[in-house]
Amino acid sequence: MSSHRIGTREEWLTAAAELLSCEKELTRLGDELARQRRELPWVQVEKEYVLQTADGARTLSELFDGRTQLVVYHFMFGPHYEGGCPACSSTADSFNGVLAHLKACDVTMICVSRAPIDKLLDYRERMGWSFNWVSSNESDFNFDYGVSAGEGMTHDASAPLLESNEIALLTLLNEQPAVRDTLPLVTSQNANATGTSVDGYFSEGHGVSTFALEGDAVYHCYSSYARGTEALMGYYAILDRAPKGRDEGDQPMSWVRRHDEYDNE
Amino acid sequence: MTNHKVGTHDEWLAARLPLLDAEKAHSRRGDELTKGRQELPWVPIDKEYRFDTDEGPASLSDLFRGHSQLLAYHFMLGPEYQAGCPACSAIADGFNGFVVHLANHDVSLCAVSLAPLAKLQTYKQRMGWSFPWASSQDSDFNYDFHASITEEQQQSGAVDYNFRTTDWRPDPNADDGPNASPVGTDLGTYSRQMPGMSSFALEDGVVYHTYSTYARGLDALWGAYQWLDRAPLGRNESDFWWRRHDEYEAIEKENDVQSPDRNA
Repeated sequence: MSSHRIGTREEWLTAAAELLSCEKELTRLGDELARQRRELPWVQVEKEYVLQTADGARTLSELFDGRTQLVVYHFMFGPHYEGGCPACSSTADSFNGVLAHLKACDVTMICVSRAPIDKLLDYRERMGWSFNWVSSNESDFNFDYGVSAGEGMTHDASAPLLESNEIALLTLLNEQPAVRDTLPLVTSQNANATGTSVDGYFSEGHGVSTFALEGDAVYHCYSSYARGTEALMGYYAILDRAPKGRDEGDQPMSWVRRHDEYDNE
Repeated sequence: MTNHKVGTHDEWLAARLPLLDAEKAHSRRGDELTKGRQELPWVPIDKEYRFDTDEGPASLSDLFRGHSQLLAYHFMLGPEYQAGCPACSAIADGFNGFVVHLANHDVSLCAVSLAPLAKLQTYKQRMGWSFPWASSQDSDFNYDFHASITEEQQQSGAVDYNFRTTDWRPDPNADDGPNASPVGTDLGTYSRQMPGMSSFALEDGVVYHTYSTYARGLDALWGAYQWLDRAPLGRNESDFWWRRHDEYEAIEKENDVQSPDRNA
Protein backbone atom coordinates (compact mmCIF):
# COMPACT_ATOMS: atom_id res chain seq x y z
CA MET A 1 0.00 0.00 0.00
CA SER A 2 1.24 3.46 -0.76
CA SER A 3 2.47 5.74 2.01
CA HIS A 4 1.15 8.67 -0.02
CA ARG A 5 -2.23 10.12 0.96
CA ILE A 6 -4.93 8.14 -0.85
CA GLY A 7 -8.23 9.73 -1.71
CA THR A 8 -11.51 9.19 -3.50
CA ARG A 9 -12.16 10.61 -6.96
CA GLU A 10 -14.30 13.36 -5.32
CA GLU A 11 -11.55 14.33 -2.88
CA TRP A 12 -9.04 14.49 -5.70
CA LEU A 13 -11.40 16.61 -7.84
CA THR A 14 -11.90 19.12 -5.05
CA ALA A 15 -8.15 19.46 -4.46
CA ALA A 16 -7.30 19.50 -8.19
CA ALA A 17 -9.87 22.22 -8.91
CA GLU A 18 -8.37 24.37 -6.18
CA LEU A 19 -4.89 23.82 -7.58
CA LEU A 20 -6.18 24.61 -11.08
CA SER A 21 -7.14 28.13 -10.09
CA CYS A 22 -3.58 28.69 -8.81
CA GLU A 23 -2.17 27.20 -12.02
CA LYS A 24 -4.28 29.57 -14.12
CA GLU A 25 -3.07 32.47 -12.04
CA LEU A 26 0.54 31.41 -12.64
CA THR A 27 -0.07 31.06 -16.40
CA ARG A 28 -1.48 34.60 -16.51
CA LEU A 29 1.42 35.91 -14.48
CA GLY A 30 3.69 34.25 -17.06
CA ASP A 31 1.81 36.06 -19.84
CA GLU A 32 2.33 39.33 -17.99
CA LEU A 33 6.08 38.68 -17.68
CA ALA A 34 6.26 37.91 -21.41
CA ARG A 35 4.59 41.27 -22.03
CA GLN A 36 7.09 43.03 -19.78
CA ARG A 37 9.99 41.37 -21.63
CA ARG A 38 8.67 42.83 -24.88
CA GLU A 39 8.56 46.28 -23.25
CA LEU A 40 12.26 46.34 -22.37
CA PRO A 41 14.12 49.02 -24.31
CA TRP A 42 16.14 47.62 -27.20
CA VAL A 43 19.86 48.40 -27.16
CA GLN A 44 21.52 48.87 -30.52
CA VAL A 45 24.50 46.53 -30.96
CA GLU A 46 27.32 48.83 -32.09
CA LYS A 47 30.08 46.25 -32.19
CA GLU A 48 30.56 44.21 -35.35
CA TYR A 49 30.67 40.59 -34.20
CA VAL A 50 32.01 38.06 -36.67
CA LEU A 51 31.25 34.47 -35.77
CA GLN A 52 32.30 31.21 -37.38
CA THR A 53 29.65 28.90 -38.82
CA ALA A 54 29.71 25.62 -40.76
CA ASP A 55 29.47 27.78 -43.89
CA GLY A 56 32.20 30.27 -42.96
CA ALA A 57 32.36 33.62 -41.15
CA ARG A 58 29.08 35.47 -40.54
CA THR A 59 28.17 38.77 -38.90
CA LEU A 60 25.50 38.83 -36.20
CA SER A 61 22.96 40.31 -38.65
CA GLU A 62 23.66 37.56 -41.19
CA LEU A 63 22.86 34.97 -38.54
CA PHE A 64 19.22 36.12 -38.56
CA ASP A 65 19.04 34.12 -41.81
CA GLY A 66 16.37 36.33 -43.37
CA ARG A 67 14.17 36.59 -40.27
CA THR A 68 13.68 39.58 -37.97
CA GLN A 69 14.33 37.85 -34.65
CA LEU A 70 17.35 35.91 -33.45
CA VAL A 71 17.35 33.81 -30.31
CA VAL A 72 20.74 32.68 -29.05
CA TYR A 73 21.19 29.83 -26.62
CA HIS A 74 24.55 30.29 -24.89
CA PHE A 75 25.71 26.67 -24.90
CA MET A 76 28.56 25.93 -22.47
CA PHE A 77 31.35 24.58 -24.64
CA GLY A 78 34.65 26.33 -23.97
CA PRO A 79 37.77 26.06 -26.12
CA HIS A 80 39.28 23.56 -23.66
CA TYR A 81 36.17 21.41 -23.20
CA GLU A 82 36.38 17.93 -24.70
CA GLY A 83 32.60 17.74 -25.09
CA GLY A 84 29.58 19.99 -24.59
CA CYS A 85 28.09 20.56 -21.13
CA PRO A 86 25.67 17.67 -20.35
CA ALA A 87 23.05 20.03 -18.87
CA CYS A 88 23.14 22.27 -21.97
CA SER A 89 22.99 19.09 -24.06
CA SER A 90 19.79 18.01 -22.33
CA THR A 91 18.37 21.50 -22.96
CA ALA A 92 19.32 21.17 -26.64
CA ASP A 93 17.51 17.81 -26.74
CA SER A 94 14.38 19.78 -25.75
CA PHE A 95 14.69 22.48 -28.41
CA ASN A 96 16.26 20.73 -31.39
CA GLY A 97 12.82 19.42 -32.40
CA VAL A 98 10.92 22.70 -32.22
CA LEU A 99 13.07 24.91 -34.47
CA ALA A 100 10.75 24.57 -37.48
CA HIS A 101 7.94 26.06 -35.41
CA LEU A 102 10.08 29.01 -34.33
CA LYS A 103 11.09 29.68 -37.92
CA ALA A 104 7.40 29.82 -38.83
CA CYS A 105 7.11 32.61 -36.24
CA ASP A 106 9.92 34.63 -37.81
CA VAL A 107 12.45 33.48 -35.20
CA THR A 108 15.86 32.00 -36.02
CA MET A 109 17.29 30.07 -33.13
CA ILE A 110 20.99 29.26 -32.91
CA CYS A 111 23.53 28.14 -30.33
CA VAL A 112 26.72 30.07 -29.72
CA SER A 113 29.78 28.68 -27.89
CA ARG A 114 33.41 29.68 -27.56
CA ALA A 115 34.98 26.39 -28.69
CA PRO A 116 36.32 26.35 -32.26
CA ILE A 117 33.71 25.57 -34.90
CA ASP A 118 35.11 22.11 -35.78
CA LYS A 119 34.73 20.97 -32.18
CA LEU A 120 31.12 22.18 -32.11
CA LEU A 121 30.24 20.49 -35.38
CA ASP A 122 31.79 17.16 -34.31
CA TYR A 123 29.80 17.19 -31.11
CA ARG A 124 26.62 18.23 -32.93
CA GLU A 125 27.01 15.24 -35.23
CA ARG A 126 27.54 12.91 -32.28
CA MET A 127 24.33 14.21 -30.66
CA GLY A 128 22.31 14.12 -33.88
CA TRP A 129 21.18 17.76 -33.70
CA SER A 130 20.43 20.05 -36.62
CA PHE A 131 20.43 23.59 -35.16
CA ASN A 132 22.93 26.13 -36.45
CA TRP A 133 25.84 26.11 -34.00
CA VAL A 134 28.16 29.07 -34.18
CA SER A 135 31.59 29.65 -32.68
CA SER A 136 32.47 32.96 -31.00
CA ASN A 137 36.04 31.74 -30.60
CA GLU A 138 37.57 34.83 -32.21
CA SER A 139 34.98 37.32 -31.04
CA ASP A 140 34.06 39.25 -27.87
CA PHE A 141 30.49 38.07 -28.15
CA ASN A 142 30.54 35.60 -25.23
CA PHE A 143 32.39 38.02 -22.94
CA ASP A 144 30.05 40.90 -23.74
CA TYR A 145 26.96 38.81 -22.99
CA GLY A 146 28.29 37.55 -19.67
CA VAL A 147 28.80 33.89 -20.58
CA SER A 148 32.58 33.54 -20.77
CA ALA A 149 35.38 34.47 -18.40
CA GLY A 150 39.03 34.71 -19.31
CA GLU A 151 41.87 36.82 -20.48
CA GLY A 152 39.91 38.03 -23.47
CA MET A 153 37.32 39.61 -21.18
CA THR A 154 36.66 43.06 -22.55
CA HIS A 155 33.69 44.46 -20.70
CA ASP A 156 34.32 47.13 -18.11
CA ALA A 157 34.32 45.33 -14.77
CA SER A 158 32.97 48.42 -13.01
CA ALA A 159 29.90 48.49 -15.23
CA PRO A 160 27.10 46.34 -13.81
CA LEU A 161 26.33 43.60 -16.27
CA LEU A 162 23.97 40.70 -16.05
CA GLU A 163 26.10 37.62 -16.17
CA SER A 164 25.56 33.91 -16.00
CA ASN A 165 25.58 32.23 -12.60
CA GLU A 166 28.59 30.14 -13.66
CA ILE A 167 30.76 33.20 -14.33
CA ALA A 168 29.55 34.80 -11.10
CA LEU A 169 30.44 31.59 -9.25
CA LEU A 170 33.92 31.52 -10.76
CA THR A 171 34.57 34.97 -9.30
CA LEU A 172 33.19 33.82 -5.96
CA LEU A 173 35.40 30.70 -5.96
CA ASN A 174 38.47 32.88 -6.37
CA GLU A 175 37.41 35.28 -3.62
CA GLN A 176 36.06 32.69 -1.16
CA PRO A 177 37.77 29.30 -1.63
CA ALA A 178 35.53 27.77 1.06
CA VAL A 179 32.62 27.95 -1.39
CA ARG A 180 34.36 25.18 -3.31
CA ASP A 181 33.30 22.63 -0.66
CA THR A 182 29.66 23.56 -0.98
CA LEU A 183 29.31 23.05 -4.72
CA PRO A 184 26.62 20.59 -5.76
CA LEU A 185 27.62 17.20 -7.15
CA VAL A 186 26.60 18.19 -10.67
CA THR A 187 29.49 20.65 -10.83
CA SER A 188 32.30 18.12 -10.55
CA GLN A 189 30.28 15.66 -12.60
CA ASN A 190 29.91 18.09 -15.49
CA ALA A 191 33.52 19.24 -15.16
CA ASN A 192 34.57 15.58 -15.55
CA ALA A 193 32.19 15.03 -18.43
CA THR A 194 33.62 18.00 -20.31
CA GLY A 195 37.22 17.02 -19.54
CA THR A 196 37.90 20.18 -17.53
CA SER A 197 38.38 21.23 -13.91
CA VAL A 198 35.62 22.96 -11.95
CA ASP A 199 37.26 26.32 -12.74
CA GLY A 200 37.66 25.37 -16.36
CA TYR A 201 34.03 24.31 -16.55
CA PHE A 202 32.89 27.61 -14.98
CA SER A 203 34.85 29.64 -17.54
CA GLU A 204 31.66 29.29 -19.61
CA GLY A 205 28.07 30.05 -18.64
CA HIS A 206 24.66 29.19 -20.00
CA GLY A 207 21.87 31.58 -20.86
CA VAL A 208 19.65 32.93 -23.57
CA SER A 209 19.89 36.25 -25.41
CA THR A 210 17.54 37.64 -28.00
CA PHE A 211 18.07 40.16 -30.79
CA ALA A 212 15.92 42.02 -33.31
CA LEU A 213 16.92 43.18 -36.78
CA GLU A 214 15.36 46.28 -38.31
CA GLY A 215 16.89 47.72 -41.42
CA ASP A 216 20.61 47.30 -40.94
CA ALA A 217 20.48 47.71 -37.19
CA VAL A 218 20.72 44.83 -34.73
CA TYR A 219 19.22 45.39 -31.27
CA HIS A 220 19.81 43.39 -28.11
CA CYS A 221 16.39 42.81 -26.51
CA TYR A 222 16.67 40.32 -23.65
CA SER A 223 19.07 38.06 -21.76
CA SER A 224 18.44 35.52 -19.04
CA TYR A 225 20.65 33.14 -17.09
CA ALA A 226 20.56 30.52 -14.32
CA ARG A 227 16.98 29.35 -13.64
CA GLY A 228 15.82 31.83 -16.28
CA THR A 229 16.35 29.09 -18.88
CA GLU A 230 14.53 26.42 -16.92
CA ALA A 231 11.29 26.87 -18.87
CA LEU A 232 13.29 25.85 -21.96
CA MET A 233 14.35 22.55 -20.39
CA GLY A 234 11.25 20.64 -21.41
CA TYR A 235 11.82 17.70 -19.06
CA TYR A 236 11.61 19.93 -15.98
CA ALA A 237 8.24 21.33 -17.02
CA ILE A 238 6.93 17.81 -17.43
CA LEU A 239 8.61 16.44 -14.27
CA ASP A 240 6.91 19.24 -12.34
CA ARG A 241 3.68 17.38 -13.20
CA ALA A 242 4.92 13.87 -12.39
CA PRO A 243 3.90 12.13 -9.12
CA LYS A 244 7.36 12.62 -7.59
CA GLY A 245 8.20 15.94 -9.21
CA ARG A 246 11.85 16.52 -10.05
CA ASP A 247 12.80 13.86 -7.52
CA GLU A 248 16.43 14.90 -7.28
CA GLY A 249 16.78 15.47 -3.54
CA ASP A 250 19.37 18.09 -2.72
CA GLN A 251 21.47 17.31 -5.82
CA PRO A 252 19.76 19.10 -8.71
CA MET A 253 20.59 17.79 -12.20
CA SER A 254 22.98 15.14 -10.93
CA TRP A 255 20.94 12.48 -12.75
CA VAL A 256 21.28 14.15 -16.16
CA ARG A 257 23.67 12.60 -18.68
CA ARG A 258 24.17 13.10 -22.38
CA HIS A 259 21.41 11.20 -24.15
CA ASP A 260 23.88 8.63 -25.53
CA GLU A 261 25.56 8.05 -22.17
CA TYR A 262 22.73 6.58 -20.08
CA ASP A 263 23.26 2.95 -19.12
CA ASN A 264 20.54 0.95 -20.71
CA GLU A 265 20.25 -1.45 -17.83
CA MET B 1 15.32 52.80 -37.33
CA THR B 2 12.90 50.91 -35.17
CA ASN B 3 9.64 52.18 -33.68
CA HIS B 4 10.37 50.17 -30.57
CA LYS B 5 11.62 52.04 -27.52
CA VAL B 6 15.44 52.18 -27.79
CA GLY B 7 17.74 52.71 -24.80
CA THR B 8 21.29 52.55 -23.57
CA HIS B 9 22.65 49.44 -21.93
CA ASP B 10 22.25 51.11 -18.52
CA GLU B 11 18.62 51.92 -19.24
CA TRP B 12 18.06 48.35 -20.37
CA LEU B 13 19.67 47.01 -17.20
CA ALA B 14 17.61 49.34 -15.01
CA ALA B 15 14.46 47.87 -16.59
CA ARG B 16 15.79 44.32 -16.69
CA LEU B 17 16.64 43.99 -12.99
CA PRO B 18 13.10 44.50 -11.61
CA LEU B 19 11.83 42.13 -14.30
CA LEU B 20 14.40 39.60 -13.12
CA ASP B 21 12.98 39.83 -9.61
CA ALA B 22 9.51 39.23 -11.00
CA GLU B 23 10.81 36.26 -13.03
CA LYS B 24 12.39 34.78 -9.90
CA ALA B 25 9.13 35.21 -7.97
CA HIS B 26 7.35 33.44 -10.85
CA SER B 27 9.85 30.52 -10.72
CA ARG B 28 9.35 30.17 -6.97
CA ARG B 29 5.58 30.33 -7.25
CA GLY B 30 5.95 27.56 -9.87
CA ASP B 31 7.93 25.51 -7.32
CA GLU B 32 5.09 25.95 -4.82
CA LEU B 33 2.54 24.68 -7.32
CA THR B 34 4.76 21.68 -8.11
CA LYS B 35 4.70 20.91 -4.41
CA GLY B 36 0.92 21.38 -4.43
CA ARG B 37 0.60 18.87 -7.29
CA GLN B 38 2.59 16.30 -5.33
CA GLU B 39 0.30 16.80 -2.35
CA LEU B 40 -2.85 15.91 -4.28
CA PRO B 41 -4.40 12.69 -2.98
CA TRP B 42 -3.68 9.65 -5.14
CA VAL B 43 -6.74 7.85 -6.47
CA PRO B 44 -6.40 4.07 -6.90
CA ILE B 45 -7.45 2.86 -10.35
CA ASP B 46 -9.78 -0.09 -9.97
CA LYS B 47 -10.67 -0.49 -13.64
CA GLU B 48 -8.82 -2.69 -16.13
CA TYR B 49 -7.70 -0.63 -19.12
CA ARG B 50 -6.37 -2.38 -22.23
CA PHE B 51 -4.08 -0.75 -24.75
CA ASP B 52 -2.45 -1.74 -28.02
CA THR B 53 1.26 -0.97 -28.18
CA ASP B 54 4.20 -1.77 -30.44
CA GLU B 55 4.95 -4.63 -28.04
CA GLY B 56 1.39 -6.01 -28.14
CA PRO B 57 -1.62 -5.71 -25.82
CA ALA B 58 -0.79 -3.89 -22.58
CA SER B 59 -2.39 -2.95 -19.27
CA LEU B 60 -2.06 0.49 -17.70
CA SER B 61 0.72 -0.81 -15.43
CA ASP B 62 2.56 -2.18 -18.49
CA LEU B 63 2.78 1.39 -19.83
CA PHE B 64 5.07 2.24 -16.88
CA ARG B 65 7.72 0.13 -18.65
CA GLY B 66 9.41 -0.78 -15.38
CA HIS B 67 9.33 2.74 -13.92
CA SER B 68 7.29 3.93 -10.93
CA GLN B 69 5.76 6.92 -12.72
CA LEU B 70 3.78 7.25 -15.95
CA LEU B 71 2.91 10.43 -17.82
CA ALA B 72 0.22 9.82 -20.43
CA TYR B 73 0.07 12.55 -23.06
CA HIS B 74 -3.47 12.63 -24.45
CA PHE B 75 -2.56 13.07 -28.11
CA MET B 76 -5.51 14.06 -30.31
CA LEU B 77 -5.67 11.39 -32.96
CA GLY B 78 -9.17 9.94 -33.18
CA PRO B 79 -10.19 6.90 -35.25
CA GLU B 80 -11.57 9.15 -38.01
CA TYR B 81 -8.55 11.48 -38.18
CA GLN B 82 -6.41 11.36 -41.32
CA ALA B 83 -3.37 12.62 -39.34
CA GLY B 84 -2.50 13.76 -35.81
CA CYS B 85 -3.50 17.15 -34.42
CA PRO B 86 -0.89 19.77 -35.43
CA ALA B 87 -0.78 21.40 -31.99
CA CYS B 88 -0.24 18.05 -30.26
CA SER B 89 2.39 17.34 -32.93
CA ALA B 90 4.22 20.57 -32.06
CA ILE B 91 4.22 19.57 -28.38
CA ALA B 92 5.44 16.08 -29.30
CA ASP B 93 8.30 17.61 -31.33
CA GLY B 94 9.56 18.88 -27.98
CA PHE B 95 9.12 15.81 -25.79
CA ASN B 96 10.36 13.41 -28.44
CA GLY B 97 13.84 14.81 -27.76
CA PHE B 98 13.80 14.40 -24.00
CA VAL B 99 11.84 11.18 -23.32
CA VAL B 100 15.24 9.50 -22.98
CA HIS B 101 16.07 11.73 -20.00
CA LEU B 102 12.73 10.95 -18.33
CA ALA B 103 13.18 7.22 -18.97
CA ASN B 104 16.45 7.46 -17.04
CA HIS B 105 14.75 9.25 -14.18
CA ASP B 106 12.09 6.65 -13.36
CA VAL B 107 9.43 8.27 -15.56
CA SER B 108 7.75 6.66 -18.56
CA LEU B 109 6.25 9.15 -21.00
CA CYS B 110 3.72 7.56 -23.32
CA ALA B 111 1.35 9.19 -25.79
CA VAL B 112 -2.15 7.70 -25.80
CA SER B 113 -4.76 8.16 -28.54
CA LEU B 114 -8.08 6.65 -29.52
CA ALA B 115 -7.13 5.75 -33.11
CA PRO B 116 -6.09 2.16 -33.91
CA LEU B 117 -2.41 1.40 -33.35
CA ALA B 118 -1.61 1.09 -37.07
CA LYS B 119 -2.72 4.68 -37.63
CA LEU B 120 -0.54 5.90 -34.76
CA GLN B 121 2.45 3.97 -36.09
CA THR B 122 2.06 5.39 -39.59
CA TYR B 123 1.87 8.96 -38.31
CA LYS B 124 4.74 8.45 -35.88
CA GLN B 125 6.91 7.21 -38.71
CA ARG B 126 5.98 10.20 -40.89
CA MET B 127 6.95 12.55 -38.04
CA GLY B 128 10.16 10.70 -37.23
CA TRP B 129 9.33 10.25 -33.54
CA SER B 130 10.49 7.48 -31.24
CA PHE B 131 8.43 7.89 -28.02
CA PRO B 132 6.04 5.06 -27.04
CA TRP B 133 2.49 5.57 -28.30
CA ALA B 134 -0.43 3.41 -27.20
CA SER B 135 -3.90 3.05 -28.69
CA SER B 136 -6.79 3.07 -26.21
CA GLN B 137 -9.24 2.16 -28.96
CA ASP B 138 -10.87 -0.69 -27.06
CA SER B 139 -10.85 0.90 -23.63
CA ASP B 140 -12.61 3.60 -21.61
CA PHE B 141 -9.28 5.24 -20.80
CA ASN B 142 -9.65 8.31 -23.02
CA TYR B 143 -13.24 8.86 -21.93
CA ASP B 144 -12.51 8.42 -18.21
CA PHE B 145 -9.64 10.91 -18.35
CA HIS B 146 -11.59 13.48 -20.37
CA ALA B 147 -9.51 13.22 -23.54
CA SER B 148 -12.30 11.87 -25.76
CA ILE B 149 -16.06 12.25 -25.87
CA THR B 150 -18.73 10.31 -27.73
CA GLU B 151 -20.89 12.01 -30.33
CA GLU B 152 -23.80 11.64 -27.91
CA GLN B 153 -21.90 13.40 -25.11
CA GLN B 154 -20.93 16.16 -27.53
CA GLN B 155 -24.51 16.68 -28.67
CA SER B 156 -25.75 16.84 -25.06
CA GLY B 157 -24.16 20.29 -24.81
CA ALA B 158 -22.57 19.46 -21.45
CA VAL B 159 -19.08 18.01 -21.59
CA ASP B 160 -16.66 17.70 -18.67
CA TYR B 161 -13.28 19.07 -19.80
CA ASN B 162 -10.62 20.90 -17.84
CA PHE B 163 -12.56 20.52 -14.58
CA ARG B 164 -15.71 22.24 -15.75
CA THR B 165 -18.80 21.56 -17.82
CA THR B 166 -18.65 23.11 -21.26
CA ASP B 167 -20.83 23.13 -24.36
CA TRP B 168 -18.57 21.29 -26.77
CA ARG B 169 -20.82 21.40 -29.83
CA PRO B 170 -19.06 22.89 -32.87
CA ASP B 171 -20.00 26.44 -33.79
CA PRO B 172 -22.85 26.07 -36.32
CA ASN B 173 -21.54 29.12 -38.18
CA ALA B 174 -18.06 27.65 -38.59
CA ASP B 175 -17.03 26.19 -41.92
CA ASP B 176 -18.05 22.61 -41.25
CA GLY B 177 -17.38 21.08 -44.64
CA PRO B 178 -15.29 17.94 -44.98
CA ASN B 179 -11.57 18.59 -44.37
CA ALA B 180 -12.41 21.84 -42.60
CA SER B 181 -10.31 20.82 -39.64
CA PRO B 182 -6.54 20.31 -39.69
CA VAL B 183 -6.95 16.55 -39.39
CA GLY B 184 -9.13 15.87 -42.40
CA THR B 185 -12.47 15.44 -40.62
CA ASP B 186 -15.39 17.77 -40.01
CA LEU B 187 -14.98 20.07 -37.00
CA GLY B 188 -17.42 18.12 -34.86
CA THR B 189 -15.40 14.92 -35.25
CA TYR B 190 -12.12 16.77 -34.73
CA SER B 191 -13.29 18.27 -31.45
CA ARG B 192 -14.34 14.93 -29.96
CA GLN B 193 -10.67 14.45 -29.03
CA MET B 194 -9.13 16.83 -26.49
CA PRO B 195 -5.55 17.49 -25.43
CA GLY B 196 -4.23 16.86 -21.94
CA MET B 197 -1.76 15.00 -19.80
CA SER B 198 -2.44 12.60 -16.93
CA SER B 199 0.07 11.36 -14.37
CA PHE B 200 0.07 7.99 -12.64
CA ALA B 201 2.11 6.29 -9.94
CA LEU B 202 2.69 2.55 -9.52
CA GLU B 203 3.26 1.13 -6.04
CA ASP B 204 3.07 -2.54 -5.04
CA GLY B 205 1.13 -3.42 -8.15
CA VAL B 206 -1.47 -0.70 -7.62
CA VAL B 207 -1.79 2.14 -10.15
CA TYR B 208 -2.83 5.54 -8.81
CA HIS B 209 -4.02 8.55 -10.76
CA THR B 210 -2.18 11.56 -9.36
CA TYR B 211 -2.72 14.53 -11.67
CA SER B 212 -4.27 15.72 -14.93
CA THR B 213 -3.94 18.93 -16.87
CA TYR B 214 -5.68 20.25 -19.95
CA ALA B 215 -5.91 23.26 -22.27
CA ARG B 216 -3.38 25.95 -21.34
CA GLY B 217 -2.11 23.68 -18.60
CA LEU B 218 -0.05 22.20 -21.43
CA ASP B 219 1.57 25.54 -22.30
CA ALA B 220 4.63 24.73 -20.20
CA LEU B 221 5.14 21.53 -22.23
CA TRP B 222 4.92 23.38 -25.53
CA GLY B 223 8.61 24.13 -26.09
CA ALA B 224 8.14 26.60 -28.93
CA TYR B 225 5.89 28.79 -26.77
CA GLN B 226 8.44 28.94 -23.97
CA TRP B 227 10.99 30.26 -26.47
CA LEU B 228 8.54 32.68 -28.08
CA ASP B 229 7.70 34.09 -24.63
CA ARG B 230 11.33 35.28 -24.59
CA ALA B 231 11.57 36.40 -28.23
CA PRO B 232 11.46 40.12 -29.10
CA LEU B 233 7.94 39.92 -30.55
CA GLY B 234 6.60 37.25 -28.20
CA ARG B 235 3.98 34.79 -29.45
CA ASN B 236 2.95 37.30 -32.09
CA GLU B 237 -0.12 35.33 -33.14
CA SER B 238 -3.64 36.22 -34.16
CA ASP B 239 -4.75 32.77 -35.24
CA PHE B 240 -3.53 29.18 -35.39
CA TRP B 241 -0.14 29.48 -37.10
CA TRP B 242 1.40 26.13 -36.32
CA ARG B 243 1.66 23.29 -38.81
CA ARG B 244 3.22 19.86 -38.71
CA HIS B 245 6.98 20.23 -38.87
CA ASP B 246 7.12 18.68 -42.36
CA GLU B 247 4.49 21.05 -43.76
CA TYR B 248 6.11 24.45 -43.30
CA GLU B 249 8.37 24.14 -46.32
CA ALA B 250 5.47 23.32 -48.65
CA ILE B 251 3.59 26.35 -47.33
CA GLU B 252 6.61 28.60 -47.92
CA LYS B 253 6.93 27.32 -51.49
CA GLU B 254 3.21 27.80 -52.06
CA ASN B 255 3.47 31.40 -50.86
CA ASP B 256 6.44 31.97 -53.19
CA VAL B 257 4.43 30.68 -56.11
CA GLN B 258 1.37 32.68 -55.16
CA SER B 259 2.95 36.05 -54.55
CA PRO B 260 3.86 36.84 -58.21
CA ASP B 261 0.25 36.08 -59.15
CA ARG B 262 -1.01 38.44 -56.50
CA ASN B 263 1.29 41.16 -57.79
CA ALA B 264 0.34 40.60 -61.40
